[in-house]
Amino acid sequence: MAWYNEQGKMTDTVISTRVRLARNLVGYPFPSSLDSTSANELIEKLSSPLEESGFRKIHFSDISAIMATSYVERHYVSPSFATAEGPRALFLQEKPDLAVMVCEEDHLRIQSILPGFDPESGYQKAAAVEHRLDREFDFAFDEELGYLTHCPTNLGTGMRVSVMMFLPALSASSCIGSLSVQLAKLGLTLRGAFGEGSGSIGGLYQISNRLTLGYAEEELIQALSEAVIQIAERERRARKSIRGEALEKLTDRIKRSEGTLRYAHLLSGKELIRLLADLRLGISLGIVQGIRQEQLTSLLVEGMPATLTLSSENAPRNEASRDKLRAQKAQSILLGG
Amino acid sequence: MLCENCKKRTATVFYNEKLNGKSRSLSLCGECASKLREKGEIQDVTSMIESFADPFWATQDTLFNDFFGISSLPKKAEHSACSFCGSTLTDILQNGKVGCPECYSTFRDALTPLMRSLHGTSLHRGSVPQRQLAVRARNEQLGKLRKELQKALSEEDYESAASLRDEIRTLENGKEMNQNGLV
Repeated sequence: MAWYNEQGKMTDTVISTRVRLARNLVGYPFPSSLDSTSANELIEKLSSPLEESGFRKIHFSDISAIMATSYVERHYVSPSFATAEGPRALFLQEKPDLAVMVCEEDHLRIQSILPGFDPESGYQKAAAVEHRLDREFDFAFDEELGYLTHCPTNLGTGMRVSVMMFLPALSASSCIGSLSVQLAKLGLTLRGAFGEGSGSIGGLYQISNRLTLGYAEEELIQALSEAVIQIAERERRARKSIRGEALEKLTDRIKRSEGTLRYAHLLSGKELIRLLADLRLGISLGIVQGIRQEQLTSLLVEGMPATLTLSSENAPRNEASRDKLRAQKAQSILLGG
Repeated sequence: MLCENCKKRTATVFYNEKLNGKSRSLSLCGECASKLREKGEIQDVTSMIESFADPFWATQDTLFNDFFGISSLPKKAEHSACSFCGSTLTDILQNGKVGCPECYSTFRDALTPLMRSLHGTSLHRGSVPQRQLAVRARNEQLGKLRKELQKALSEEDYESAASLRDEIRTLENGKEMNQNGLV
């Protein structure tokens, strides 16, 4: 079972937590200046300890574009890793979900992905993989600058924690802008997910640490955790403050969304995200019953174009047939609850 | 290169922006960059999430570019190249990316103040590789032994001094071997 099918903590306001550690090996230039021979050598070197630890290797130069996109949709690799050229490999382990990208921007991007909010155990799981590799390899490190990375924005701990939050009520009350300014002062970044610019579809926002140098990992995690817990509290208060006619209208919208998700014949990707947001809010307000948050997260990932296409034996040939497949997927996942 | 805005002063800020699928690059002097920033014509953080399928991946490269250039750079460093990967300081500043781990040592004087403006500090306080812990322990031990050697010499205790010197040599040789092993 992948992270998106599992139960998590604080799923009323948090979809997922991702912790990433960037590491590089001494004696090689960073991947952008690495020739194919050295890149393959690096992948080979890293293979045995990772495979011994239960990871399976996926050479990204050998897989189809749709398969590569599906790994992006499931949050195991970055879009630039999926579309890059040249030797690169993903090492993947499920339960707990750990993904190691070799030859992305840095030699190693060690990541753990968890459902809901759990940055401490996310860090511990990623760090355990890092410690295993640290026993065999010399990581590029400097006493002052810490772990050395291709982009100086990752120097120091090389750690980036990203929490995907679900904030429909705060989003509707248009206080995301001021929240973003407050978070920036704490060294945290907030951005809209699934949208262009700072906007967001489905009330989804990503909060991550901007600073990586000058603080211990635990301090960075604590600062982020405190912020996330406070924001979640504000979101819950904002949800409770919806009353009277506004609540009637919202209830109507949520129930209509539930109906659409249960009975629609065609569903586009954007519509799915919007419906899932309504249902997630509906569950937390007690309006929707008999559906669990993790079913919605499964659908959010499994309803994405590439992952959806790969899940079917007869690959959909056009958008309409994909929309039909998406509606069927939604109904089968909801029935599974 | 001259600032694209005033066309008078040297450009020191290399600004890249990707917004709604459109890219824009500007080379500006510090003064014009802050004026444009105040007017809101350029932004502090310009990397935005664009990919529909991808809520997670933040590219903070442009942020780095914004910060670069703000500090003045030592002129002589601009043309020297990293002996390991051949990157020059100009390459690093223009790309906002570093060529190899060695570059950080090669261009330490120029990069450290930039790292400080980027992170607010240039001193790592997080976890450390095992190997580095061993290096730290050995350096501490060496410091302690050297002090003891000084003391033995000042007390004319040559017997202890000789054995301390041997111990120091063994530790130092170990360090050399280790360092050679790393390259």
